[in-house]
Amino acid sequence: MKLNERSVAHYATCDSPPDQTGFLFKKGERNTAYHRRWFILKGNMLFYFEERESREPIGVIVLEGCTVELCESAEEFAFAIKFDCAKARVYKLAAESQTAMESWVKALSRASFDYMRLVVKELERQLAEIQDAAGAGGHQGRPKPSRRNQVARSRSGASSSSSSASCLSSSASVPSMTAVYSAQKSLQDEVQLISGSFKENGVTWSKPPAASANGSVDTAPSCVTWDVCTDSGVATGCGGDGGRAPPVPPRRLGASLESPVSPDTGCFSKLHDWYGREVEELRAQWLQSQ
Amino acid sequence: MRFNEKELVCLSRQPSEMAAELGMRGPKKGDVVKKRLVKLVVNFLFYFRTDEEEPIGALLLEQCRVEREDTQTFSIAFLDEAERKYLFECDSEEQCKDWIDSIIKASYEFMRRNLIFYRTEIHRLTGKDPLEQYGISDETRFQGNSGSQLVARDTSSL
Repeated sequence: MKLNERSVAHYATCDSPPDQTGFLFKKGERNTAYHRRWFILKGNMLFYFEERESREPIGVIVLEGCTVELCESAEEFAFAIKFDCAKARVYKLAAESQTAMESWVKALSRASFDYMRLVVKELERQLAEIQDAAGAGGHQGRPKPSRRNQVARSRSGASSSSSSASCLSSSASVPSMTAVYSAQKSLQDEVQLISGSFKENGVTWSKPPAASANGSVDTAPSCVTWDVCTDSGVATGCGGDGGRAPPVPPRRLGASLESPVSPDTGCFSKLHDWYGREVEELRAQWLQSQ
Repeated sequence: MRFNEKELVCLSRQPSEMAAELGMRGPKKGDVVKKRLVKLVVNFLFYFRTDEEEPIGALLLEQCRVEREDTQTFSIAFLDEAERKYLFECDSEEQCKDWIDSIIKASYEFMRRNLIFYRTEIHRLTGKDPLEQYGISDETRFQGNSGSQLVARDTSSL
């Protein structure tokens, strides 16, 4: 089966920050000795290099659907990556210390795309509930522009801030504040969902409806500062010139944006789409400027 | 570069919400459009000959750019070789839009950015780090750009 190997290898070494790196011993397939390799975990891909300084990985293990187990082995601090598919190979690895082993096992068992998706959906849901509830204390109907200007846009550390007032003030429904507390309670129930295992596979991004009548244009200073540069890697110049990072996208203060909020849908699906598109556009713009 | 092909083939068999027959053209000069069953599973785009069980190939959808080429056609190019485009011909404008949308969202890095955004926003609104109760606050993969962690805030300030 073909794979876009060059680009996959590029993902390993490009600017986006890895999730974990370190030396591990890997048991060979034919030669069953353990070889010390440099490992880089990014997303659901575990790359391994001959040396730390090597520019290209020797190989990659796609981690989707795997389980990680400690294993009985003559080798100390050994663990295994296993897959639930016929004739799958078991990848035996060994760390150099107990702490390293535990750290790797933890990192690898949470490396799947499915897991990340679950956490994102959960936070998305939480944020929607918080904002719906907070909307009860906010405006009903059209917000006044002055309110918008007073919204605190604090930047804390690396956080991106957005004017979520746009969501709050545009929200048509006015739930009571008790919604917040029930959200808290259901979070407890959700703990099991996240920390346990799961099989959810579907992507259920709800489709945003057609743009609703936009009297709400002036409600949406949806300014977002995405840290698109070093973190995303997507927009970084990974084409051989690894040093340059694209500009951080400008905060949009204008009212000319389509509001990402529509009264017909939870604003998050729309926000979500909007951010995706914005990132895409910025990425395209930046690439063109290269 | 070695990769765990068997497991990847296995992954290609998983249920997917985005699977359709599209006209696909490879990035090389001289490549022609061929009908392929294209299937999106996590951050991989698999492509099969219609009615075949095993995919011909897979594209990891990280570090790529998806573009609308015309009303019914989109392209995928990888940032390390941006001139080489894979082309996909859809049956309708709507289908084309759906695919573009789905592929953009099918990247681990895209999800990570969203997670960081939601986490930061929830923290800003509530003073609490939403990942704390799941015990995953310290995971590297959930950290923001600077790697700095959210500092607990006194909620009485809200």
